[in-house]
Parts: sequence; structure tokens; C-alpha cells
Amino acid sequence: MNLGIFTAILLFCIFSYFFGQTTAKKLVTNQNLKLKTLPTYYGYFVALWCGIPSLILFAVWSLFEPTIIKTIVVGKVLSASQIEAGLTTNLIYQKILSYSAGNFTGDLTDTIKIGALAYAKITSLAYKAKLASILSLASIGFIYAFNKVSKNNNARNDVENILKWLLFSSSVIAILTTLGIIFSLLFESIKFFSSINIFDFLFGTNWSPQKAFVRDASAITAEEYLEIKDAFGSVPLFAGTAFIALIAMCVAVPIGLFSGIYLAEYASYKSRRTIKPIIEILAGIPTVVYGFFAALTVGPFFREFGESLGLNVSSESALAAGLVMGIMIIPYVSSLSDDVINAVPQSLREGSYAVGATKSETIKKVVFPAALPGIIGSILLAVSRAIGETMIVVMAAGLAANLTINPLESTTTVTTQIVMLLVGDQEFDSPKTQSAFALGLTLFLVTLVLNYIALRVVKKYREKYD
Amino acid sequence: MKERKIKIKTENLEVYYGEKQALFDVNLEIHEKEVTALIGPSGCGKSTFIRCINRMNDVIDICKIKGSIEIDGKNINHKSIDVVRLREKVGMVFQKPNPFPKSIYDNIAYGPKIHGITKNKGELDNLIENSLRKAALWNEVKDRLHEPGTSLSGGQQQRLCIARAISVNPEIILMDEPCSALDPIATAKIEELIDELRETYTIIIVTHSMAQAVRVSQKTGFFHLGKLIEFGTTEKMFKNPSNNMTQDYITGRFG
Ligand SMILES: Nc1ncnc2c1ncn2[C@@H]1O[C@H](COP(=O)(O)OP(=O)(O)OP(=O)(O)O)[C@@H](O)[C@H]1O
Ligand SMILES: [Mg+2]
Repeated sequence: MNLGIFTAILLFCIFSYFFGQTTAKKLVTNQNLKLKTLPTYYGYFVALWCGIPSLILFAVWSLFEPTIIKTIVVGKVLSASQIEAGLTTNLIYQKILSYSAGNFTGDLTDTIKIGALAYAKITSLAYKAKLASILSLASIGFIYAFNKVSKNNNARNDVENILKWLLFSSSVIAILTTLGIIFSLLFESIKFFSSINIFDFLFGTNWSPQKAFVRDASAITAEEYLEIKDAFGSVPLFAGTAFIALIAMCVAVPIGLFSGIYLAEYASYKSRRTIKPIIEILAGIPTVVYGFFAALTVGPFFREFGESLGLNVSSESALAAGLVMGIMIIPYVSSLSDDVINAVPQSLREGSYAVGATKSETIKKVVFPAALPGIIGSILLAVSRAIGETMIVVMAAGLAANLTINPLESTTTVTTQIVMLLVGDQEFDSPKTQSAFALGLTLFLVTLVLNYIALRVVKKYREKYD
Repeated sequence: MKERKIKIKTENLEVYYGEKQALFDVNLEIHEKEVTALIGPSGCGKSTFIRCINRMNDVIDICKIKGSIEIDGKNINHKSIDVVRLREKVGMVFQKPNPFPKSIYDNIAYGPKIHGITKNKGELDNLIENSLRKAALWNEVKDRLHEPGTSLSGGQQQRLCIARAISVNPEIILMDEPCSALDPIATAKIEELIDELRETYTIIIVTHSMAQAVRVSQKTGFFHLGKLIEFGTTEKMFKNPSNNMTQDYITGRFG
């Protein structure tokens, strides 16, 4: 049904485009008017006026329609069959919906039949009303714009303005969504911090949230609080995150940087064109696949290798996870540093060759220092990528929150714990689940700061050569 | 004027960028301690020609060179020639000043450090002062040697690049339109400088300014569409050119 309405709007727009355009053309030829803009713009102008308001109405209507219909149907059902409003109404409504859709199985009660009847009536009414109001709005827009066309108005500027607002509203939507995410994090975190002291959270060294399982956050007694207040020390998680990220960077930075230098400075144009996409494929592999690789290949390999040396290596180790994560990040570092090195002006290289420097001297003493800020920026971006990575760690580094610097032991990270805290849980009111949001918020702030620094560094570098 | 020793000699020099031929059969002799100006309309191959002399075209993948270029009687494209040594001997100043993003001091210390020309800091300091003096920049920068080279004005940057070229004590200096980004005062300074440098170095300068060619050079070569049309003393070239095309170009009728 909605598809039909949408198509109708679209057709109307296309029609109004051609109508506006031909009318404008006629004005030019018949009445010898000199229009300020090309006829096409009049077409766009009419089409936009016809389409945008009706599409907005369409979106808003579709957003609220289900809720309104539900309220009306439920009201009808309740008054007809003396059921108390409460949790069951939701269930009944679900049944009514599936009955109407024709895939209902189970006990068919009168209530459901009444409801389905009411539902069918209301939806068809709503559909007609929707179609009518949208089409009339489209017509109003059409007539308004069409009148303007014949008044020799400057459509080019109007189209320009409308487009500007369209683009602007898209960016506003993006910003609002981000804000929404931040606020939802913030509110849940505030709830968490109202039961757990923020300093206990930030500086505690013991993480065992399962202790606080199934406890209503709003009704914790003093004794209970003493018991659980030590359970939410996030230090082991952030330490684990930093540690694994460090291992990953130890792999990714040298390999990525050197391959970036090779690509930018040594590879011929042809081999660069083949090698670069191949490296970038690494970035396209789903992280779950890296996780398999870490858990099934690298982890056991380290364990066996360690055993042959007489070392005790757990099969889930920070080393395995960090190593594989490092491989995953290589393309970020190599691709970005390749770009940055390429952006160093050729004239600097030639200046260096001209005093008799070799290629590697030139790279070491001129190109690399000049590209350094950008390279640092790319490394920082890679770090925030490493910090946010979840899947590899879930699969390869384990879940135990050990505060350790032994890369052969299992450890865990912030993101992994967030997953563990929320998996399988539907209620978000225990400190256990809420702590996930606090972790998320803290992590978000950390990566935000990192990204900010990275972008600043990169920007500073750009200013130097443009 | 007595004829000096031949420093650079090209025979049947042809240069290709991929399929496209940029220089056709260029034969010329450049004498020691003279300034040779190369003129000609845009795209005629002047830069290509001087970039052959320090083999800067090696950097360009698609560039192929045929024929011979001799410096002091040795073919520079021969296998036995070390291109790094060659470039130490043949300095280059580019059209756009290209100081490294380092301090003024380090910009000039760069070459000598690479070649181990000086034994200690004192010698290096002296060398830097001398290079800057020769490039007529010393007085302007002596108090700010550790500021970035990129903070200088365009004309100062270009003189810094000249000082950088001088610092490794080359025998030949190639200049590709060194004044094209400069104002008349800076240009005058650099022309004066070229006149002084002539005592010590063999200089080839590409220029679009006829007046500049007349002012600084002893010999002039006129290129057109990749061919060397005329080569001779600057005096003769501008007073009494033997080729009609040269005549047209220097009087501004085309190009
Ligand atoms: N890197 C390159 N790749 C391909 N073709 C090139 C390259 N450099 C120069 N050319 C071509 O070679 C010809 C000569 O160019 P060159 O730069 O030597 O001219 P020029 O005389 O220095 O001109 P200008 O006075 O504008 O600097 C031109 O046709 C140009 O298109
Ligand atoms: Mg040129």
C-alpha cells in the first residue's frame, strides 16, 4: 500500500517536472517572455514543490500510523470484551495482526475476530485518508509552484535554495542521530553511576559483574552495595584493551608503514596498482573471519609452540588476538601512509637528489620527516580502530578479566565485556547490564579524543603543503 | 673572448616520454665557466634538456634517452657512472623554490652531511656560512639560521636553494627558470649572483626572459618543438640571429 502511495508521489513529480518545463518553454515561445532561467529549472522547481512536502507528510504519517491504529483497535477490543488493559493487550494485538495478515495459528477467539474486523476497517480508512491528504498536498505544492512559474519568477535561485535546505537537513539528521546515540549512552551510564561510585568504576582493579546479577539497581541495600561495589573496577578491561591494541600496533605499524613506503616510493606504477588493492582486501575481510583465524590457527599454534619450549601458553592469549588484529589493521596504516607519502611534493625529492642523495637517504631524511605528522595521524586512526575491535578478542583472547602483562595469558577487552554483559539479557535495570553503557561511554570518549588528535595532526600537516 | 675548455657536450641527444619524443637530435657544446642561457617557447624541451645533464629524468619511469651526453669527456649515461656522484658534481636549482621543511642551517648542511664533506661542526659551520655568503643570503639570515627554511620569502628561499646547490661544491649548476616566481628586486639579486658564480661554476640557465638571457649569459641556445634551432654567443644571437625563427622569437612575434 505504501509502495503504491510512494509511486503515486513519484509519478506526480515526474509529471510536474515535464509540465513545469513545457509551460516555461511555451511562455518563451508564445508570449515571447524572456525568462530569467532555463526551462529545466522551472521543471525542477515545480517537481520539488510537488514532491518534498508530500514526501515529508508521507514519512510523518507512516511513522505515527501504526501507533494510532493500535490505540484505536485496542480501545475497541477492550470495550467490546471486558478484558483489563495490561500486558495481555499487547499479546492480543499481536494475534490480531497476524490473523489479519492471514498467518494465524492457534485459538481463534471472538476478541481476535472483533479486533481484526476493526483493524481492517481502520486500515482501509487510514489508507484512503493518507492517499487523499498526500495527493492534495502534492497538488497544492504543484499549483503554488506552477503559479510562480507563469509569474516569470527566478526559478534557478529557488531550486538552489531548496537544494541547500535539503542537503542541510540531511546533515542535521546525521548529527541528531549521533546525539541520540550519545544521550542514550549517557542516560544509562548516569543510572549506573547512581548506584556505583564513578571512582570505583574508573580505578577499581577487580571486574566480576556476575556478582551483581539480577539485582534491581534502584533497590540496593547498604550491605549489598558493599558486596558489589568492588565488582565493577574497569581497570583490567582498559588495561587489556590497551595491551592488545599495543600488540596489534607492534605488528601493524612496522609492516604497514614499510609496505606504505614501498608502495609510494619503490613500486612501479603498475605494481602499485596491483599490490595496493590486494592489501586493501585485508580490510574487507569480516572480522569474524579474522576471529576464526586467531582462535583456530594462531592460538593453538602459539600454545603448541610454547609447550615445545616448556612455556605455559593458554590457547586464548592476548598475543594471538593482538597479532591477528595487527594483521587486520595493516591496510589502514599502509594505505594511509602511502597516501601521505605520495602527498609529499615531488620537488622535495628532486631537491634532495640534486645534491647527490640516494633514494633511501632521500626517503629517510626528507620524505619521511615531511610525512611524519600524517603518518602519526594514520597510526592514531588505526589505534582507535584497534580499540574498538570486538570480534577477534571475543574469539581469541578470552573473557577472563585478568590484570596481566603476560601476553601468553588470556585477557579481555572493554568491547568484549560489553558484548558479554548484554548478550541474552533483555532487562536493562541491573547494575550488571548498565555497566555496559558506562564502559561504552568511556570507550567512546577515549576514541573520540584519539580521533580528534589524529585529525588535528593530519590537518596541521595538510596546511603545510597546500 | 678566448675559447674555454668544453665542459658539456651532447651528441644526437634524443629524449622520449613513452611514445612522445621531446628532444630531437640535440648537438651542443657548453664551455667551462660560462653562463649558457636556454630560451624557447613553453613545452619546447628546455627543462627536459637540462634534466638530462644531472640525470634527473631517471626518476621518471617512462623517460628514455638516446645519444650521448659527455661531461669532461665522459659519457654520463655509461654504466660505470655513479649517478649520485654525478649529481653531487652537477647541482640544480628548480623553477619553484623547494627548501626542505627543515631549518635554514639543516637545509644547507644536508648535502655536505650526506657526502661527509666536513670533518667537524666547525668546518660545517664555515661551509654553511660560505655557501650562504656566495648566495648573497648570509646577512639576511645569519641571526635566524635555526628557523625553518620555508619561513623565508620566495626570493630568499630561491637563494637558499642556490646556497644548497653550492654547498656540495659542484662544478656545474643547472637553473630551471630560477626567477620565474620572483619579483624584480629578487631577480636582480639573483642575476648579480649568477654573474659572480660564473667565476667558479659552469652555469646553464633556462629563462623565458630575453632581457635576462642578454644580461646574464655568454652563450644562448634557442629550442623550438624539441629541436635546437640555434646556438651561439648571446651577442650574436640577439643582434644578428642567423635563423628566421630565432629572429621571430626574440622579437616577440611568436611564443
Ligand atoms: N614527465 C613527463 N611525462 C610526459 N611528458 C613530458 C614530461 N615532462 C615533459 N613532457 C613533455 O615534453 C615536452 C617538453 O617539456 P619541457 O618540460 O621540457 O618543456 P619546457 O621547454 O621546459 O617548457 P616550459 O617553458 O613550459 O617549462 C612537452 O611536450 C611535455 O609535454
Ligand atoms: Mg620547463
